[in-house]
Amino acid sequence: MASTVLVVDDSAMARKMLIRSLPATWDVEVRQATNGLEALAAYRQGDVDLMFLDLTMPEMDGFQVLETLRAEGLNCLVVVVSADIQPEAQERVKRLGAIAFVKKPVDPEKLGGVLREYGVAL
Amino acid sequence: MTTALFSEDQRDALQELTNIGMGQAGASVAAVLGEFVQLSVPRILVLKPSLIPPALERIVGPEKVTAVRQGFHGDLRGEAVVVYGVAHCRELADLMGYDEVPDEATEHELLLDVSNVLIGACLGGLAEQISAEMGFSAPSLMATEVEVGSLLDVSRMDSPCALFVEVNFSLEKRSFACHLIMLLPEDQILVLRDAIDRFLASL
Repeated sequence: MASTVLVVDDSAMARKMLIRSLPATWDVEVRQATNGLEALAAYRQGDVDLMFLDLTMPEMDGFQVLETLRAEGLNCLVVVVSADIQPEAQERVKRLGAIAFVKKPVDPEKLGGVLREYGVAL
Repeated sequence: MTTALFSEDQRDALQELTNIGMGQAGASVAAVLGEFVQLSVPRILVLKPSLIPPALERIVGPEKVTAVRQGFHGDLRGEAVVVYGVAHCRELADLMGYDEVPDEATEHELLLDVSNVLIGACLGGLAEQISAEMGFSAPSLMATEVEVGSLLDVSRMDSPCALFVEVNFSLEKRSFACHLIMLLPEDQILVLRDAIDRFLASL
């Protein structure tokens, strides 16, 4: 069965850019959420294997999503994809359990490298 | 208030492109101030000039403000304004490591420097993504300690509408905050819209 990937970003364009940056040969089901609350709702359904999470979003931002996921016992891999490139932001998301930080605009090669590094895509 | 000059896809794209520029600006100002900068989702509005002062009041609140303006030119022409609440201007000196309250000239210099960093990074980041060549004039002090409603003389604007892009920066551990507004007249909105269309077509 294919893995399930959740792309969380308030921007439709950003979600589209990220999805197009995923490895073409990667057999995954891609779902989308437009804010942190939607992301948590999708996560709680229990079948999200990997989440690409934006930080700056309305309703609930990415930091809050990570804090909530950690409080609930993080049960999926999270890659933060954000324009907030402050070193402190990158350190914080790692402390909150994200496996990697990818800066926007997404470079498909760098994203592929991150996914390979963590063994989640060929 | 209207955003009818932009389709939903164009507005979304502009917001995301601004978000990327804002992220670069946030990192730059975080490095200057040595503090973590909290970012919020940029807001994109197309407003009649008469609606710009109330939009500014909504952002800043009732306090008096000091503001720095910086023009930009090239493939896109307009003006960026960084608005500071008066109390935040004084806090800036403290953030920059001044032990004593600086004189007025020094305080103004700090405002110009920080504004220049914010505007250059934010608009530069936006321009880079849409492959626009942009230059900047020197930042200048626009007004000091004025009512926010009187900051912009909208009666002198000859455009029927203006693009109002709002980016807010605040510090997590301090009360300091400032607001970057990008103003483009209608003819430049159309130029920007074409550039966004080219960007979207390239995806």
